[in-house]
Amino acid sequence: MSWQAVEGSFRDPSGFVYCRDATLYRQVNKVFGKQFEAFITSGLYDELTREGLLVPHTQVGLELSATADAYAVLQPERIAFISYPYEWSFGQLKDAALLTLDIQERALSKGFTLRDSSAYNVQFHGGRPVFIDTLSFEPLEEGKPWPAYKQFCEHFLLPLTLMSKRDIRCGSLLRTYVDGIPLDFGSRLLPARSWASLSSVLHLHLHAWAQGRYAGAAVSSAAKGKSMSRTALVRLIQNLKSAVAGLSWNPAGTEWAEYTSDNNYSEEAARSKRALVLGHLAGSGARTVWDLGANTGEYSRAAREVTPQVISFDVDPAAVERNYRRVRANSETGILPLLLDLTNPSPAQGWAGRERLSLAERGPADALLALALVHHLAIGHNLPLDRIAQYLSRLGRLLIIEFVPKTDSQVARLLLSRPDIFPGYTKEGFETAFQREYEIKGMSRVADSERWLYCMTSRHFAVD
Amino acid sequence: MYIDPTTGSLVLQLLAAGLLSMVAMVSRVREAFKSFFRMLVPRRRR
Repeated sequence: MSWQAVEGSFRDPSGFVYCRDATLYRQVNKVFGKQFEAFITSGLYDELTREGLLVPHTQVGLELSATADAYAVLQPERIAFISYPYEWSFGQLKDAALLTLDIQERALSKGFTLRDSSAYNVQFHGGRPVFIDTLSFEPLEEGKPWPAYKQFCEHFLLPLTLMSKRDIRCGSLLRTYVDGIPLDFGSRLLPARSWASLSSVLHLHLHAWAQGRYAGAAVSSAAKGKSMSRTALVRLIQNLKSAVAGLSWNPAGTEWAEYTSDNNYSEEAARSKRALVLGHLAGSGARTVWDLGANTGEYSRAAREVTPQVISFDVDPAAVERNYRRVRANSETGILPLLLDLTNPSPAQGWAGRERLSLAERGPADALLALALVHHLAIGHNLPLDRIAQYLSRLGRLLIIEFVPKTDSQVARLLLSRPDIFPGYTKEGFETAFQREYEIKGMSRVADSERWLYCMTSRHFAVD
Repeated sequence: MYIDPTTGSLVLQLLAAGLLSMVAMVSRVREAFKSFFRMLVPRRRR
């Protein structure tokens, strides 16, 4: 039987994730067998899975292993959609950070520690963050500091502090620095007032200084035989916890944050649009829907009524944050708000450009919603309609898309400060461009508006 | 351990541990003082 390694899990020699017959497995290598057994028998695994903090797994037979080096084979519960820290809102990154620290605190109380604290060890599942790396736990060696401290600061504390105290857009640095934002760089970006916070001074500024001061020095000589008690470790984790918990951001004042309350739909138009979207989706049998340009997720929630999984993408950090807060506040499952600039979508990156998947590689979705979006792409970003059609046709099988004509006040607003260089932006031009990539299944006018809603199927997947 | 914790980070943790222990001790002493004076004040009032 053949197997295929899941890129992104090859750095840790203790095991790796792979696919066999469309089922996901995690192999525990012999070199890590003793530590894994200790973790399972300690009761920590049971506690973390019972509380929904760690993804549960079933141990299966070694005949399903990928290599002869296997000690055990696990079949973890599958995560519906893999997302990355650079796609998370402030609240999502903060919740992921608090989850990591909570797990480390529980691990310490049972004589274990996290070997790493990568933000990529966390995924969003059922509306909340969950730790996915079962092989991150090892028995605590008394006296040793936390090896993942620097990684935690670079993956979580520094990005969150920058987003909270400097600018929310600093979160996008995580896309460039996939191994975490370097401490010296982040320390320079932080505002002067960050020196007034003990946590920022200690974990970020002094931490950055210590990196330079002890670069090239051996641990044994620099530490001068000093050790760190478990109480001191717990105190460090608690301090990090209060530092993260104390960071906040108010999601307001951005371009799209107020869109839901600042649009030109009449009540009748909104009702008609919702009914049309639901009508097309309900009959499609779609199980995964990507709502592109979802804003705070109004139509994602409508779609969720007829589909089990909706990924709610938007370019605006405030809109995504509000959407996520709604998910948490109402314990909504099946809606995952994520940050996405569709004009520059998440690329494939990391080692060999394969460690982190591009947006398209994580698809295709069964259905795409592109509501009140196409005019922003075509007029706001000068993207030709045929190119929009080409890209969307590769992201999902079914497309429910709204065409907003130039006579609409929202489009007129886009053309206020620039010449109209878009003669092809017409209903006919739109249909011609999209018919090259799609078969139009239905079109209806949204009541009490000049907008049209189309339902199309991608020719790209029909050919496959 | 498969990631590099870096020497600077390990040394800083030792420093942080010392500092946080001191902060914890100071806050414990402060709490003790506070509760001592809280005990005294109602007695005087009575």
